[in-house]
This record gives sequence, structure tokens and C-alpha cells, in this order.
Amino acid sequence: MLRNVPLLLAVAVAMFLVAPMAIIVPMSFSTAISFEFPPPGYWMGYYREYLSSYAWLGATVNSFIIAFASMLLTLAVALPAAFGYARYRFFGKGALNLLMMLPIIVPGVVSALGYYSFLSLAHLVGTHAGMILAHSVLSIPVAFLVIAAALKGFDRNLERAAMSAGAGPLATFLFVTLPVLRPGILIGALFAFLHSFNEAVVAIFIAGRDAATLPKKMFESIRLESDPVIAVVSTLLTGAVLAGVLASLVVRPGLRRRTPHAA
Amino acid sequence: MERARRRNSRQREAVTAGLLIAPAALTIIALFLVPIGYILLLSVTDPVVSLGHYRRLFTVPLYASVMINTFRTALIVTLACLVLGYPLAYVMARRNDTVAVMLLVAVGLSFWTGFVVRSYAWLVILGNKGPLAALYALAGSARPPQLLFTSFASTLGMTHILLPFMVLALYAVMRKIDPAWLRAAEGLGARPLDAFAHVFLPLSLPGVVNGSLLVFTMCLGFYITPILLGTPKDMMISQLINQQIEDLLAWGFASAIAVVLLGCTLVLLLIYNRLAGLDRLWG
Repeated sequence: MLRNVPLLLAVAVAMFLVAPMAIIVPMSFSTAISFEFPPPGYWMGYYREYLSSYAWLGATVNSFIIAFASMLLTLAVALPAAFGYARYRFFGKGALNLLMMLPIIVPGVVSALGYYSFLSLAHLVGTHAGMILAHSVLSIPVAFLVIAAALKGFDRNLERAAMSAGAGPLATFLFVTLPVLRPGILIGALFAFLHSFNEAVVAIFIAGRDAATLPKKMFESIRLESDPVIAVVSTLLTGAVLAGVLASLVVRPGLRRRTPHAA
Repeated sequence: MERARRRNSRQREAVTAGLLIAPAALTIIALFLVPIGYILLLSVTDPVVSLGHYRRLFTVPLYASVMINTFRTALIVTLACLVLGYPLAYVMARRNDTVAVMLLVAVGLSFWTGFVVRSYAWLVILGNKGPLAALYALAGSARPPQLLFTSFASTLGMTHILLPFMVLALYAVMRKIDPAWLRAAEGLGARPLDAFAHVFLPLSLPGVVNGSLLVFTMCLGFYITPILLGTPKDMMISQLINQQIEDLLAWGFASAIAVVLLGCTLVLLLIYNRLAGLDRLWG
């Protein structure tokens, strides 16, 4: 009896985590014009409205463009940095780590305020370029952490073997190092993408109307007009996350649980 | 000769490391430290050069109560996340079956769903046309209590949103605890509860510290949920910043508040950095 207490508690807490998001799904088919639950009736009307709304589709497209571009920029700087950090010893490593982590240490609202004031000097507020720059910087820590962790687990004997078999440094990097690290790099890229895709606070401050992303558009719709399309977008986003989480279980069963000690 | 060569190769290593790291470091300096530094500048120059904003912030009682409210809320949310998150992480770490996978899916789903979406869910649940109000109506109560736009709503929402961070921080540490130690304790005659209290719990404490610090610092500056679910009557720091910008266009004062918020966060993390090393925080 007592043995089952932790399990029951755990399941209850998991329900607390998931149940609020489950409520969004019936909301998205609701006919109500405000936030009413249980719904007075069901239809697909707000899905049609989402698909025909310039503002919502525009925000969706912006979210993808900004997340993808900032993912590329983030990788371009975080990947070499992770190599430099994980493979070399040098003076000031602790301070460098602190610097690399700053974008996730600083509270979002502080970064947002800084970006608003700073980017308005360069007339980049309300532009895609401004959003991409800001989001790339904010995603550097997550990508850096993931890739540096993958590098720590990398067996450098593989590279030595390739070199002694006659491969040059470039060939070794391209045909040995990179393929082995590919999962880590891909996960780092995915995290960077999602970090930008979900980021709301900086977007609320600097995206303006032209570069508005989904989180910003949703935040403003909730505050200003209680637009029922929010339920549709929330359902689609939650569904996409669920599909992604389930896919990660199928693709990499190793993610389920590492058994550190054969028990 | 040998020493000179070693020094040479070490210098070359440092140069290579520097070249690899420079783009990221310079990006963060130019596009992150400079903007943050700029609000530091604004806080003492906008609209006039003075320390007046800080004087006001530390002398007007309203602002002191906002600070106290923020820290109190962050503390409540952290404790709630710890109490809720510990058993969940414990079961996830100790079991190796479908249940553990399903729990991990639940945590992953909430971790990766955006803050706005989850705040919206609470807006529906706590709203006056929501399921709780409907339950009240069924029970015969004509006027359900006001749940939405209270500090209760914002505390509940933040607990829900930050809980996965706590669970993952705990899980990362608990997963590394060797089950053999618990079996050894039980084999030596300890009851399961004793084995938990004297073996598992102490070993899981680093996770407790990591998760608590992560949740507490995230909560201090939380923007979305207090604004969507909370009330201006019990403001948190982020709401005050928002009010200063949105209603009063007081950028200088808003910047000063942001600087104080940043200072509080950095002090907490620097203490942690001294004690444990910052690179352990995100496991």
C-alpha cells in the first residue's frame, strides 16, 4: 500500500501538468465567441478563420522564418565555440562559460527592454532582421550546452585512428567527427529552433506588427480581444509538440532511460 | 628545448581556441551585453542624468511592496514546484517501464509547450465561464469566487509552467543515483522509508538545489503569466516594468527596475556559481 503512494502522487502531478492543455482541444472546436467551457456547441469555424486570417497565417510564417534563420545563425557561432570550449584548456574558461550562459540567465523582460531600446537606435524594431538577431543570441546558450555535452562524450581515439590511417585534418573532421556528433548537433539545432519558436517576451517588445510571431500574436489577442482563434492555434501547437515528443521516443529509444548500472 | 616546444604548442592551442570561440563571444558581447549595458545607461540618464530612479525605487513604499511580493511569490512557486515535482521525478527515475515513459511524455509535452499557450489554458479554466465556475453553478452557488486576475491565478499558472523545469532538474540528478545503494541499505536491514530518507534523499539534494534556483530565478522575472492571469493590485516586478512602459512611457524608470531585477538574479546565480559551478545548473 505504502509502496504505491509515490506512484499515485506522480500520476496525479502528471495529470495536473497535462490536463490544462487537454482542455484547449475541445475549446478549439467551440462555437463560443469568448472563453467558455464546457463549449455550448461544436464546429470547425475557427479553424477556417485561422486558415483565412492574414494576421494569424502571417504570424505563423514569421515564426517559422525567424526560428529557422536564428537557428542557422546560432549554429554558425555556437558550434565552433563548443569545440573550442570542450577541447582546449585556456585561461578564463569559467568566465567564458558565464558569458555564454548570460542570455538564459538574464530575465526575459530585462533582455526585452534592452533589445527594444538598443534595436530602436538601429531602426530594427519591428523587423525580421531585429527578431532574428535577438533570437539567435538568446538561443546560443542552449545550442552551446547541448553540443558541448555531446563533445565531452566524444572518443578522440576515433580521430587519431583516422589520422594515423592517413586522413588529413579536414577529411577526419568531415568523415569522422561530424557524423559521430551529428545527433548532438541536430538536437542543439532543434533546441535553438524551438527556443526561438516559443520565445514570447522579447517578441512582444520588439516584433511590432510586421515581424509578429505566434506567441506575440497570441499574447496580444488574449489581452485585447479574446479572439477564439487562439484555441485553434494553441491546439495545433500542442499537437505538434506532442507529435515531436512521441517521435523522439520512437526515433531514439535510448532517450527513454539510460541504465547507468546494469541492474 | 622540450619546454619551449611545449609552450609553443600550448600557445597555438590557445590561439585556436580563441579563434573558435571568438564569433560566439563577440556576438554575445555586441548583441547582448551592449543592449543590457544600454538600459543601465538609460536608468541613470532618462529623462535626465541622475540616480533619482533608484532613489525612488528604494524609498517609495509601493515599490518595496512590489519587491517583497515578487520574492514571496517566487518562494511559494518554488516550494510548490518542489513538493509536486519531487515524487514525479522520483518515480520517473526509479522505474524503467511504460509508466516512466508516459510520465516523461507528460513532462516533455508541458516543457515544450509555450508559456502563452499554457497561460491561456489557465485563463479558460479559471475564467468566469470556465469549468470551475460551471462546477460551482452545479453545486448551487450563484456567484463563483473571483479566481482569474488574482495573485492566486498567477501563482498557480507559474507553478504549472515552471514545474517541468523542476522535474527535469531533479530527474537529471536522481537518474544517476545507483539503485544498488538502496538495495544495499535495505539488505542491511533498513526499512524502505529509512533507505529513502538516509540514502536517496541526501543524494538527490543537488537536484533540489538546482531545480529550486532555476525555478526561483525564472519566477523573479516572469513576464507572461503575471500579466495575463494576475492583478495590478499585487504586482510583481515584471508587471511594474510593463506598467511603467505601457501606461506611463517611463523608459528610464522601467530600466532602473529592470537593472534591480537583473541584479537580484545575478547575485543568486553568482552565489551558486561560487558554491557549485554554474555549468552544473543545466545538467
